[in-house]
Amino acid sequence: MSRTSRRARTGRALLAAGAVAALTAGLAACGGDSLEKSGGEGGGSAKPGQGSLVIGSASFTESKVLAEIYAGLLKDAGYSVSIKTVDARELYEPALEKGEIDVVPEYAATLAEFLNKKQNGKDAPPVASADAGATVKALRKLAEPRGLKVLDPGRAVDQNAFAVTKEFAEKHQLKTLSELGKSKERIKLAAGDECPERPFCQPGLEKTYGIDITGIDPLEVGSTQAKQAVKQGKDQLLLTTTTDATLEQFGLVLLEDDKKLQNSDNVLPVVNAKKAGSQKITDALAKLTRVLTTEDLTELNKKVDALRLKPADVAAGYLKDKGLLTK
Amino acid sequence: MAEQSCLVSNDWICGEYLSTRGQELVDATLQHIGITLASVAIGLLVAFPLALLARARRSVRGPVLGLTTVFYAIPSLAMFSLLVPVLGLSVSVVVTGLVLYSLTILVRNILAGLAAVPEEAREAARGMGYGPVRLLFGVELPLALPALMAGLRIATVSTVSLTTIGSIIGYGGLGNLVLGGLRSYFKAEVLTASVLCVLLAIVADVALLLLQRLLTPWTRTPRRRAPRVGAAQSPAGEAVA
Repeated sequence: MSRTSRRARTGRALLAAGAVAALTAGLAACGGDSLEKSGGEGGGSAKPGQGSLVIGSASFTESKVLAEIYAGLLKDAGYSVSIKTVDARELYEPALEKGEIDVVPEYAATLAEFLNKKQNGKDAPPVASADAGATVKALRKLAEPRGLKVLDPGRAVDQNAFAVTKEFAEKHQLKTLSELGKSKERIKLAAGDECPERPFCQPGLEKTYGIDITGIDPLEVGSTQAKQAVKQGKDQLLLTTTTDATLEQFGLVLLEDDKKLQNSDNVLPVVNAKKAGSQKITDALAKLTRVLTTEDLTELNKKVDALRLKPADVAAGYLKDKGLLTK
Repeated sequence: MAEQSCLVSNDWICGEYLSTRGQELVDATLQHIGITLASVAIGLLVAFPLALLARARRSVRGPVLGLTTVFYAIPSLAMFSLLVPVLGLSVSVVVTGLVLYSLTILVRNILAGLAAVPEEAREAARGMGYGPVRLLFGVELPLALPALMAGLRIATVSTVSLTTIGSIIGYGGLGNLVLGGLRSYFKAEVLTASVLCVLLAIVADVALLLLQRLLTPWTRTPRRRAPRVGAAQSPAGEAVA
């Protein structure tokens, strides 16, 4: 009796030891593997010229597609590339300064204001404007001391825009924001909770266009919830972006910013100057900047957000259609 | 034909999503499992000595319990964001965060399990000449296993769900797909990844329950023995066991 119970106990001890060993092995495999991989990336890209580059991407569709297109162009130029998806600019911008990320698709005015606030405090006077040239110049002035190189902007612009439902637009015969102001409709706006302070948002709509804003529904900019709120008539106006491809799904149309209230958010690549500042990389990415238009961006977004193609496939298709690859 | 696809009509349940994104789902699930396993295993390795220390010294107990509870109270978004400047944009940010979250559950349960060991069992073991190490691993730990395993199960399930927050730096396993799907209003992606995440939690919980039953057969012995009194009816008794 006592012998069997001892045997059972030994068995149990072995089982426990086995479980611990399995867990430890699993842990070692996961931990070790991923740590080595990230270490490898860092080491590889430290060599200038021929190396591996990490492209940063935010988690929204347009950023993902642009990152895939950058990856295609840089691969074509002889680099090995990987893409890292990081949700917020607050997280990826410092990583870009440090060189953990080498290239990021960015927006001139948004990044300029982000760096302006970071550098000069929350209440710093704005540096971005509706003038693309001046905005990029201001951005470069803020970015260069941080070790960031801002490449030339192209025609493609993804900036803030306002949308209403098709029915609302037809009923009041609206095509532009000026016409919305003239209609004297009382408007509840679905936008970010910072809208009342941003000159391009509530203050601009009221002063520049004379729109009667009765309140802000603090939903995230261009979020699904915000679109649904406008669709259901809970709110009348939606803050979104010019390249939003899902508006059609929600029966929404953009109103033209006819008095140029919005800052120039031209798409441009921003790179870590030390690790990806070479002319070769600049030239590779400039191929895209030369051809990309706002309509292209909307179309690319639509392929992912409406037709549900994969960002990588959409990017590859675009590169091929425009003949941007040499191989 | 392409217009009819459930991807385009954005259905919640979409077979075509599964067939076109199979590899994505497998990769995300494997990343999810890897991060969860690593976090819980490291959590256990850290929590065990902490619990022993807290048990041995009253002066350590308060700070250990207090500190691990404070970690638990930090919002996960803030936790990961705070760790990024220290650890960079790597998977170690997520694992470290999850380990810190698991500590309070694990330490408290290990402590509770050890505290519930009957003093008589300890006395008997000491009387048999058990030293402190053998006492711990041979008597106390096996008796504390049910409480420890209960803690491990809670920690594992909560880690499976918290792993998704890692998506803010691209290491969230299935959370990467949930976040991407939410951002682009992709219903099938959100639902499929969420369901897989729940399944993962259930599978992990059941697996740990089975492991616990294997490790602690004595918790079931009274039932098996009861029918043995009337030896003739033993087949029914075997069936119960």
